[in-house]
Amino acid sequence: MSENAARRLVSMFQAISDAVEAEKDHLSELDGAIGDADHGTTMSLGFLAVKAELAKLELDQVQLSDVMATAAGAFLNAVGASTGPLYATAFRRAGQAVAGKTELDLATCAAIIEAMGSGMRERGKGQRGDKTMLDAWLPAADAAAAALAENKGADGFWRDVVASAEAGANATRSMIATKGRAARVRERSLGHVDPGAASSVVILRAMASSLNKAA
Amino acid sequence: MTSKTSSPRKGGASRSGAADTSDAIPLRYGDDPYVWACWLYYEDGMTQGEIADAMGVSRATVNSYLADAREKGIVNISLEPARLASLTIAQELKRHFGLADCLVVPSDDNARPLIDSLGVAGAMALQKLMKSGDTLAVSWGRTVMSVGEHADVQALQDATVVQATGGTTAAFSYTPELCAASIARAIGARCVGITAPAIVKSPEMRQMLLDEPLLQEQFATLAQANRILFGISSLRPNSTIHTSGFFDTVSLQDYLAAGAVGVVAGRFIDERGRPVAGPLDDRTVGISLDMLRRIGTRIAVAGGFDKVPALLAALRGGYVNVLITDAATGHGILRADGVTGLDTRISQRPKLVQTPSSYRTHVKKFLNNPNEVVEEMLDGVVRAHRDYIEPINGSHRALLAKSGPRPGKVGLVIGGGTGHEPCFLGYVGKGLADAVAVGNIFSSPPPDPIVQCAVAASGGEGVLFVYGNYAGDVMNFEMAAEIAEEKGIKVRTVLTTDDIASSPIEDREGRRGVAGNFFIFKIAGAACDRGLSLDACEAVTRKANLRTYTVGVALEPCSMPQTRRHNFEIGPDDMEIGMGIHGEPGVTRERIKPADDITDAIMDNIFKEMKATAGDRVAVLVNSFGATPLMELYILYRRVAQRLAAKNIEIEANWIGHYCTSLDMVGASISILHLDQELTDLLHHPCETAFLRIN
Repeated sequence: MSENAARRLVSMFQAISDAVEAEKDHLSELDGAIGDADHGTTMSLGFLAVKAELAKLELDQVQLSDVMATAAGAFLNAVGASTGPLYATAFRRAGQAVAGKTELDLATCAAIIEAMGSGMRERGKGQRGDKTMLDAWLPAADAAAAALAENKGADGFWRDVVASAEAGANATRSMIATKGRAARVRERSLGHVDPGAASSVVILRAMASSLNKAA
Repeated sequence: MTSKTSSPRKGGASRSGAADTSDAIPLRYGDDPYVWACWLYYEDGMTQGEIADAMGVSRATVNSYLADAREKGIVNISLEPARLASLTIAQELKRHFGLADCLVVPSDDNARPLIDSLGVAGAMALQKLMKSGDTLAVSWGRTVMSVGEHADVQALQDATVVQATGGTTAAFSYTPELCAASIARAIGARCVGITAPAIVKSPEMRQMLLDEPLLQEQFATLAQANRILFGISSLRPNSTIHTSGFFDTVSLQDYLAAGAVGVVAGRFIDERGRPVAGPLDDRTVGISLDMLRRIGTRIAVAGGFDKVPALLAALRGGYVNVLITDAATGHGILRADGVTGLDTRISQRPKLVQTPSSYRTHVKKFLNNPNEVVEEMLDGVVRAHRDYIEPINGSHRALLAKSGPRPGKVGLVIGGGTGHEPCFLGYVGKGLADAVAVGNIFSSPPPDPIVQCAVAASGGEGVLFVYGNYAGDVMNFEMAAEIAEEKGIKVRTVLTTDDIASSPIEDREGRRGVAGNFFIFKIAGAACDRGLSLDACEAVTRKANLRTYTVGVALEPCSMPQTRRHNFEIGPDDMEIGMGIHGEPGVTRERIKPADDITDAIMDNIFKEMKATAGDRVAVLVNSFGATPLMELYILYRRVAQRLAAKNIEIEANWIGHYCTSLDMVGASISILHLDQELTDLLHHPCETAFLRIN
């Protein structure tokens, strides 16, 4: 069973990488409005590195937490800047959250999303309303926990998660960035979706289709 | 104006009747009756009747001359751009949100802080809106307090001011009680308090209090209010809501999770202005949102970018029908609500189709492969400065001071993005930094090279990280610190925050680190080299940071090597005071002024914060952003020295040149380190680095 779960987690990262690749230019374009137009490239580099590093793993022998730790290291070394530490911390915390778990059931998925959101929040010292990726991840984590508590099935679970992330990302339009490069343009960031929140939606959608399909 | 000295009106009148044809047009107007008429009207201040007499034509002719002159463009009437922008924004806010009235103050009024401008505007609104017999409910906050400080409304009879919420801790100076009392005093009104805490421990306690006859009487007064004055708080970490301790943090997180973006009279609202339910609802003693919305005149006074989402929510929720804010905030609200096209209307000068930088689309640079600029530069650096630095484990991204680290000495690690040379690698060497981690252009190094630096710099007594306060640097250095700690190296961190223009004093910890790094690194390096303990090194570095004040001015943008294009724009006649070293927005963008005026603006800002008295000593750094030559830096220094001399402040040492740059940006910054005996001593401690040598 554990081999199956680790494989599923690796194919989830592959799906994320493919999705990010497809949205790369769009994400860079969003970033161009309020940052330095490299967010798509950055995310693409990060997940390509994750994919390459995960390919080296012996999937029959590794734990879910090993997959997450490997992804964290690969992403950090490839990216740097601020996206690197944020996602690296997210994956590392997710690795801790799934330590000892052998099933990639909805409870584990909820734990991963929750750990990623709180990892980013701790690292970035941010909160909702800061116009960052947290505005997508934190609502997604809440939705996951709520869906789990209501015993929703996989379809309902992932639909709620993705819908909450999308609503959160859309809400960043009326926010002013106070963190990172977008903070430099202050009021000019108004009216634009935060590229970090937009890429979070891309990632969560890919997680949903990959993990729900394989469940 | 002309050089006339006699009274023009008398002169005009005496000419009356003397001229009866246009042959009599004085020479200086050529043969243009329009110019003559305009001159007499606009410059000499004559009436149309007097002009008709002077020109020997009918009054109707004068009237048509004046009208035609405006159409022909002989006369242009212009309003000061900042005020015009304010009016346009106020009009648009009023229209877009259906407000009864809106007052917008210019944002870039250097004469006084925003909070005072808002206070004065709020005072004007009270003057205009308050009538005898009115009952005004008053909420609380810094801005409301400022209205009270500036208002002076005479001759109101039978006015009542009533506190809109219960009371709070008196730990700050703008409590509900003080705000209500201040406004009551300013408008000569009777003041009614709400003599209960704003937040009580339990719903039962609230009910018991509300059943008290005294509170019922007070709430009855509140229910009679026909006007209310309130501020609006954002939920940002530095907002009133956080600093006042009005709500406990645990509750705040609940509300944030439920989508709250702002607070109106102690009640949370979401982005559409809907009430957000939460644990405090049944424990809050004060006006409810429904009560507030039923009041006829609802005056909100609030400003600052941080408040845009909260203000927008309050407007959408209909809590406000008279808005008092500043131009930048007002503009932000409109933009956030999707109003476009305002930008062209509020810029006074017609927009050039092409900005001057697109005269050439690319800036010329010495480049081989644009993607290799950092590597190639570092290769050159390592070759040039082999006397001072060497790569750690062969990596150019982690450089070590030769003969710097040694057992028993605290190691000093600095670092950051490239593009600021000689920051940071120019300050690595004996007596200064022990190691530097090097990132990409304007981008933090990842944790790995920072850890390598920490390991190499460690002499067993701990390592001090000193770097500028930027989100990316903070995250990567923090991760590096965690990893170094796991390796048994004790790490302390001091973030440099010397850019006083980057954030107001209340948010001092949120400020950026810029050229003042030079002084802070120097002090930290000396302390480490003297063999002080990690605690002592950290303490004196913190002190140096607190006593270093920098303001920069940008005249032209910088261009990135990869794109060779400007990474932002500054208008042909503009400058930006307070701009950061990556092109971050500053305090004001305004018309360029003479060098002395610019220096004065910078020094005035510094003097506002630096509490130096006659006889005190300072160190001065006049730093080029890259493209500004020494010639101009000396012109700036001259004025800095004059200003300091006028206050009898002694310049202990000065540095003038390229010390912390921003690629090829045109501009300069002035940094002042306010010395004391300890800092003076450490400033003179010997050091050997590529860009600073003291012996």
